[in-house]
Amino acid sequence: MMQTTDTRVPVTVLTGFLGSGKTTLLNRILTEQHGKRIAVIENEFGEVGIDHELVIGADEEVFEMNNGCICCTVRGDLIRILGNLMKRRDKFDYIMIETTGLADPGPVAQTFYMDAEIERFLRLDGIVTVVDAKHIWEHIDDKASKGGTEAKEQVAFADVILLNKTDLVAPEDLERLEARLHHMNAAAKIYRTQNAVVDMDHVLNIGGFNLDRAMEVDPKFMEPEYPFEWSGVYDLQPGAYTWVMGEGPDPAMQVALLRLSSTDEAARAALVERAVLTFSDEEHELSGNGTLTPGEMLAQLVLNASGETRFTVEIAHAGLYTLFTEHHPDEFSAALHGEHSALEAAHTREYKPDHEHDDEVTSVGITVPGDLDGDKLNRWLSQLLRTQGQDIFRMKGVLSIQGEAQRFVFQGVHMLFDGRPDRPWGHELRHNALIFIGRNLDRAQLNESFRACLA
Amino acid sequence: MSGVTRARTALSARFNERWRTEIDDYVIALAWSSDGALLAAASVSGTIRVFDGEMGSIRATFPGHTMGTNAIDWHPDGTRLASIGQDGKAIIWNAKTSERLHVLPVGAHWGERALWSPKGDLLATAAGRIVRLWNGQGEQVREFTDHASTVTDMAWKPGTDQIAVGAYGGAVIWKADKDQPVRRLTWQGSTLRLCWSRDGSILTAGQQDSSIVFWDGRKPEPSMMWGYTTKVRELAWDRFSKYLATGGSETVIVWKFGGKGPEGTKPIQLVGHQDLLTALSFQHKGNILASSAADGTVLAWLPGKQENPLDGLPGLSAVSHIVWSPDDRALAIGDDQGVVVVANFVQK
Repeated sequence: MMQTTDTRVPVTVLTGFLGSGKTTLLNRILTEQHGKRIAVIENEFGEVGIDHELVIGADEEVFEMNNGCICCTVRGDLIRILGNLMKRRDKFDYIMIETTGLADPGPVAQTFYMDAEIERFLRLDGIVTVVDAKHIWEHIDDKASKGGTEAKEQVAFADVILLNKTDLVAPEDLERLEARLHHMNAAAKIYRTQNAVVDMDHVLNIGGFNLDRAMEVDPKFMEPEYPFEWSGVYDLQPGAYTWVMGEGPDPAMQVALLRLSSTDEAARAALVERAVLTFSDEEHELSGNGTLTPGEMLAQLVLNASGETRFTVEIAHAGLYTLFTEHHPDEFSAALHGEHSALEAAHTREYKPDHEHDDEVTSVGITVPGDLDGDKLNRWLSQLLRTQGQDIFRMKGVLSIQGEAQRFVFQGVHMLFDGRPDRPWGHELRHNALIFIGRNLDRAQLNESFRACLA
Repeated sequence: MSGVTRARTALSARFNERWRTEIDDYVIALAWSSDGALLAAASVSGTIRVFDGEMGSIRATFPGHTMGTNAIDWHPDGTRLASIGQDGKAIIWNAKTSERLHVLPVGAHWGERALWSPKGDLLATAAGRIVRLWNGQGEQVREFTDHASTVTDMAWKPGTDQIAVGAYGGAVIWKADKDQPVRRLTWQGSTLRLCWSRDGSILTAGQQDSSIVFWDGRKPEPSMMWGYTTKVRELAWDRFSKYLATGGSETVIVWKFGGKGPEGTKPIQLVGHQDLLTALSFQHKGNILASSAADGTVLAWLPGKQENPLDGLPGLSAVSHIVWSPDDRALAIGDDQGVVVVANFVQK
């Protein structure tokens, strides 16, 4: 299909736990868009009522498609209601679906691709997930409960995440939360809100499932996985210092101490890159009372069986030094001591917040220049979707296929794959950029198997 | 007339318009009274109009249901009309006096179906998972709730007091005087439409996943026919319970029952519409099948005898409903713009 104007009625799905503020957002949308005819389908009647004439209540009903694959589930209630709405002479400008906090967004999204009638008249514009900044932790970290699974899936499926009720949370907690949400879903745009106040352009008509916008999120901007969790910058004079570690969760910890040329952002970023390389080197074991020197060397600090373990740090030249540590020093009550007392780092950074949570939902971005072998790609993709389709929530990307003048754009939900040739590459460097958001994704394996599709 | 081929062979027949009118919105339901004197048409936004079958003049107008009417059904007496809608109510109207006789709470907001039993002694309503049976005085006499999901359709078994109730997971057959089901017809899939063969021996179910399933009372296992383009909501049996016409694509697929079939046989394929089918209707006492599609065409066929349509009616918008008059001499047609047409069908 050429670039034609899509006249289908857009549908936005609002997800989020009860009390997250999604009904407040819905009321805001209805108020600000009062000139438009908006139908609301509601699965949950929360503590905030909706002041609107066109609210249709429905029970969430997930249907499995008998002759399809196991993850091709759809929502029967939505097919029934949306099908009916589309028949009315008074056409709607927009449809909002507010799901319950426990809803799985997968069947909702799939409904727009598995039913000819729905596909003809409606387009899924986006999934907006409202997160209660104060209480989301309880849900996300609640591994045992169903709610935990759903909270993660709602984050994973989102095109837009509203980090709501920011006024109830300390700034540093907000940073941590945002970083964690980004880690889970690197393709979603995250907005911080209070009382769900947000620019309508950020939540409506966002084209989250539009192939033309499939690659607006470039995976190269995704935060990579760092082999260290923490770094601290110290301004040190020549002399001997002591790195003191208490007992911790592990019997050893990797560290690297690197000289920082200046405090500007570029220098810091370059140093992080060097640290990543250093951490990929062979480690050098260092026992208690051993000496750590600055330089591109990965040290494995081995702790004493019990009590404190001390390492000497020798500095020959005055300057700024950054210590990169595998785990957060707090886990070992570790600190750098001067002659008289512990030193405070001038600047610290955490790289993978809450690493200990080991989020099962993550984003994997792949960026590779060059052309793909079409046949290999087909085999890889069908194998991937067959074996991991249930765990892949969203995917999108642009591919460069050998012998094709045009870019190939795609997006998908679970095993449903939607793709087509896009504009010609022209002078642009031919490359592949794609992102998967899913559960238990193996980053290395995905990267490696994708590279094997190169021509 | 592009796309419509006139048959010049064995049988010649044609449609000509008897009358045409308009209601306020998409025609969501269309029903002839048993004597053919009245035609009721309900719009998706709620209003129900009752027309004179011969002349097309308005005989009654009912406000129907707030948020929309979903279904209507005439009592065999040809006077009482039942309707159900999105306001959680079923209403029994008197079409002759325009009275509202009974307002029945159906148990959930979205009332899907209201159907009079063959004898007319009971009205069955379906809303959510709840099926209720009401007597002529508007009193609830029974309630069936043991359904796996929202009820999508119901069908009284011809000539009996048994009703098949469809939902995700198959169908359940209930008897009007029993609290326990007569039979559970289990099927993993979402049933959208139920249709009994006229002799009551076979129950057919159109499915969301582009297939049909049927339970033949004489066979132990259900059968599935698949390969449709989309979900199948259009089902019609001929008077001999020999042909089952099905939609779910642009082509009318007709399965021939009896002998070895239809399992393992090739269906009759009637090609003529340019878009997905929207409705099918077999004559009551004749052999003519009418079909309609989203391209606005209505075609008449003689399945098993002729591959080409006998005649067609062009010029409508996406047709939503077609139904033969009780005497088979006219076809009532409703479309997505609210146009209602009654066309005489003259066989030569």
